Amino acid sequence: MLVEMKHIYKSFANNHVLKDVSLRINEGEICALLGENGAGKSTLMNILGGIHQPDKGDIYLDGNKVVFDGPAHPINLGICFIHQELNLINDLPIYENIFLESEYKSGFRRVKHTYMIQETQKIFERMGVDLDPRTLVKNLDSSYKQIIEICRAVIMEASVIIMDEPTTSLTDSEIERVFAMMERLKEQNVGIIFISHKLKEVMEVCDRYTVLRDGKMVSEGQVADVTTKDLARYMVGYDVRTDKLVREREKGAEVLRAEQLTCEQKFRDISFSVYEGEVVGFTGLLGDGRSELFQTIFGADKITSGKLYLHDKEVKIRSTMDAIKHGIGYLPRNRKENAIIKDMDIVENSAIASWEKYARWGIIQHAVHKEKLSELQKTLKIRMGNYSNNITSLSGGNQQKVVLAKWLSTNPKVLVLDNPTQGVDVGAKEDIYDIILRLADEGIAVIILSSEATEILRLCNRTYVMYHGHLQGELTGEEMNEQTMMELATGGAASISVS
Amino acid sequence: MTEQNTNVMVRFLTWFKHNWSNSPLFSIFIALIVMVILQTIVLGFDYPTFGDWFQSWINNWLNILRNNASIAIVALGMTFVIMTGGIDLAVGATLVTTGALAMTLLDATGNGLLASMGITGWGAIVITIIVVIAFGYLLGALIGVTVSRGMVPPFIATLGAMMVFRSVTQHYMQGASPRVPSEFLLISNLKIGDYMIMPIIYWLVIAAIMYYISKHTTFGRQIIAVGSNERAARLSGINVKKVKFWVYALSGVLVAIAAIIQVSRIGSMDFAGSGRGMEMDAIAAAVVGGTSMMGGRGFILGTVYGMLIIAVLNNLLNLFGVPPLLRDAFKGAIVIAAVLLQRKEQTS
Repeated sequence: MLVEMKHIYKSFANNHVLKDVSLRINEGEICALLGENGAGKSTLMNILGGIHQPDKGDIYLDGNKVVFDGPAHPINLGICFIHQELNLINDLPIYENIFLESEYKSGFRRVKHTYMIQETQKIFERMGVDLDPRTLVKNLDSSYKQIIEICRAVIMEASVIIMDEPTTSLTDSEIERVFAMMERLKEQNVGIIFISHKLKEVMEVCDRYTVLRDGKMVSEGQVADVTTKDLARYMVGYDVRTDKLVREREKGAEVLRAEQLTCEQKFRDISFSVYEGEVVGFTGLLGDGRSELFQTIFGADKITSGKLYLHDKEVKIRSTMDAIKHGIGYLPRNRKENAIIKDMDIVENSAIASWEKYARWGIIQHAVHKEKLSELQKTLKIRMGNYSNNITSLSGGNQQKVVLAKWLSTNPKVLVLDNPTQGVDVGAKEDIYDIILRLADEGIAVIILSSEATEILRLCNRTYVMYHGHLQGELTGEEMNEQTMMELATGGAASISVS
Repeated sequence: MTEQNTNVMVRFLTWFKHNWSNSPLFSIFIALIVMVILQTIVLGFDYPTFGDWFQSWINNWLNILRNNASIAIVALGMTFVIMTGGIDLAVGATLVTTGALAMTLLDATGNGLLASMGITGWGAIVITIIVVIAFGYLLGALIGVTVSRGMVPPFIATLGAMMVFRSVTQHYMQGASPRVPSEFLLISNLKIGDYMIMPIIYWLVIAAIMYYISKHTTFGRQIIAVGSNERAARLSGINVKKVKFWVYALSGVLVAIAAIIQVSRIGSMDFAGSGRGMEMDAIAAAVVGGTSMMGGRGFILGTVYGMLIIAVLNNLLNLFGVPPLLRDAFKGAIVIAAVLLQRKEQTS
C-alpha cells in the first residue's frame, strides 16, 4: 500500500508543531524519519496513527483520501504503530500477546490456545524467528520483544509499520536481528517508517529518508546519495563534529580501585582502577553486567566478596547514601525509570541527591539549590523555562542535563555515567560530551558505560570490555578500536588483554 | 464603566478557569467554600440579632471542628503514608490500643497502674502522655519495620496489625471500665475565653508542623520522591527504607495523640467500637484533598480541606435528619465525586 501525507499542518495552542510537511511511503520500502527531539516526528506519526487530526492537509492511501476517526481506524486499514515503549504484557506467553487484539476480532467466545499457538508458529516460520510461542514475554530479551511486536503487526496484516526508535535499548547483535526481520518484511512488500537517532543504522537499513527540523521538512531523498554527516547537518542545521574528542592527559593519582569484586549471578572477579582526570569506558553487549557492577559499587546492591578502595583506603559502601558521601556519583541508564521523579519540579530533580548535604536540621536550603542550578544551567546549557516547571516539561536532552546537574551538585570525585546519551538528540549529545571532557579536565574520574562503540572511541582514554559478568580485557591506544572491542565483547580473543 | 466591569469579569473568569484546571488545591478549596455556604444556609438566619446568629454560627463551627479534631490528626499521618504509595489500615486499632493504655495507666477507680506505683496528679498525667505517645511510636515502628525491612506490602502489614492490635486490646480490656481523673479531661476541655477549643488548637498546630515538614524538610520531600519513583529515589541516594519506616512511625505517634485527645474529651472509651472505620475516614479525607493513592502526590493542606468537607457533610446530614445508617452512602459518593473531579484535571 502506498501512503502519502500531503502538506500537513498541526498546532497545539499557539505552538506550530508541523508546518507543511509531506511524507510518502512506498510498498516494500524502509523510509527513515529523522529529526531532533521536538522536531515534530511524533506528532506526524500520531496523525498517521489516528491519534491526532491534522489542522490542514490530507492523507492518501493508494491514492484515495482518508480521514481517520480515532486510533482504531488506521489499524483496520493496515497501518500499525509500534511505540517506543513496547505494549507487551510480561506475564503472558508470546502467543497471547500476539493475539491480544485480534483475539476479539476473530469472534472467539473461548480463547483457543492451540489455534493461537499454531498460528504464531506459522508467523514465526514465515519471518524466520526461532522461538517457542509458549515462552513468557518476561523471559525474552529486548530484541525479541521488539520482534514480537513486529509479528503482532504482521498478524494484523499491516502493510505499513511505524517503528519508533526500535533500537535504543538493543545491543548490536540484537539490532542485527531486528534489521533482518525488517528486511523480510520489505521482501513481503510491507512499507516501514523507521524513526531513529542512530544515523549509522539509517545508512545500513533504510532506502529513503525525510528530515524534519522545527516542524518543517528540510530534506528528503535516497539514503544512498548522502552520508551520516549530511543527515546530521540536516537535522541540527549546522555541521556536527564526528572527530575524536579524547585528549591525552598526565595520569593523576588513583581514585578508585576494585579488587576481585564479585556479586553472585551478576559479575565475578572484577579488578580495575581509575585515575584522576581520566575518562574510562566500560563496554560490552547487553547483559554483560556492567550496569550491575557499577550499581553495586554505588551501593544499590550488596557485594558478595572483593574489596573497594578510594584513594588507596578501603571503603565499605552499604547504601547509595554512603556512596554519595564518599564522592561517587552514578547517572543510571533508562532515565525515565531510574532517574526522573516525575512529580517534582526541575530544581528539586536537580537537588535531590544533595539535599542532605546542604540541609540544616533537616531543613532543605531551597535558595542554595536554586543558585546551584542557575550556575549549572549555564555550564550545561540547559534550556528550560521556570525552575518550578515540572521536569517532564523538558525535552529528553534537557532532562538528562538536569540529571547530570543533580550529580554535579554533589561534587563527585568519581562520576559513573551509564548510557549518558540515551534518548538524547544530536545537539544535546555533543553538549554532554563537552561536559564530560570538562569534568575530566577538572580532575574528576569519569567512567562511561556504553554499548555505542563510537561514543567510547571518541571520549575515552582507556576502555574495559566486559562479557557475561567477566572483565574480558583492557584496551588503550592503538588497540582501542571497534573491531577489537567487538571481539572481546562477544567473548573471543581474551588473549588481547593487557594491563 | 460597564466595559471596565465586563473586563474585570473576564479576567476573573480566566483566572478562575486557569486555577480550576491547574491547581488541585484550588478546586478542593472551592468545594469547601460551597460546603460552608450550604452549611450557613441550612443553619438559617432566624435569629433576633446578628450577634445571636453569629454566636450560633460560631458555636456550630467549633462543634464540627472539635468533633473531628482527633480523626483529622490521624488523617494528616495517613497522608504521609499514602504519599509514599502505602496505606495504613491499622490507625483505628492503634487508636483503641493506645487509648486503652492511657486509661489503664490513669484509671482512677483503684486499679490504675500509675496510682498503684504511687504516682498521682499532674505527674501521672505527664508520664501517661509521654508513655502513650512512645507506645504509639512503637506500634507504628512495628508496622514500619515490617513494611520497610520485611518488604511486606503495606496493605497486608497494616491489615494484619489492625487485627492483632484490636483483638489483643479487646481481650484484655473486656469487662474493664476504667475512669480517668478529672484533671486529664482538661487536656481537651480547658476553656479559652468562653470556648472549648483545645482539640482544634492541637489539630491546627500539628497541621502546620506537618505542612512545614512536607514542604521544607528533606524527610518531607523524600516522601514524595519515594512515592513517585522508588527506584530513582534510591539511585539518588535516598534511604528509602528509612523514609518508609518513619511515615508509619509518625502515623503511630499522631494516632496516639489523637487517642489522648479522644479519651480526654469524654473521659471514657468504647474498646470494642472506638476507632472502627477510622482508617477509611482518614483515607477519604486524604483522597478528597487530592492525595494520589499511587503515591508521589499529596497535600497536607488538601487533607485539612478534605477533612473539613467530610465534617461539614456529616453535620449537614445531621441537620437534614438523614437516618444515621444512610449517611455513609453520601460520604462514599462525595469521595468518588472528588476523585472523578481531580482525574479529569490530570488527564487534560
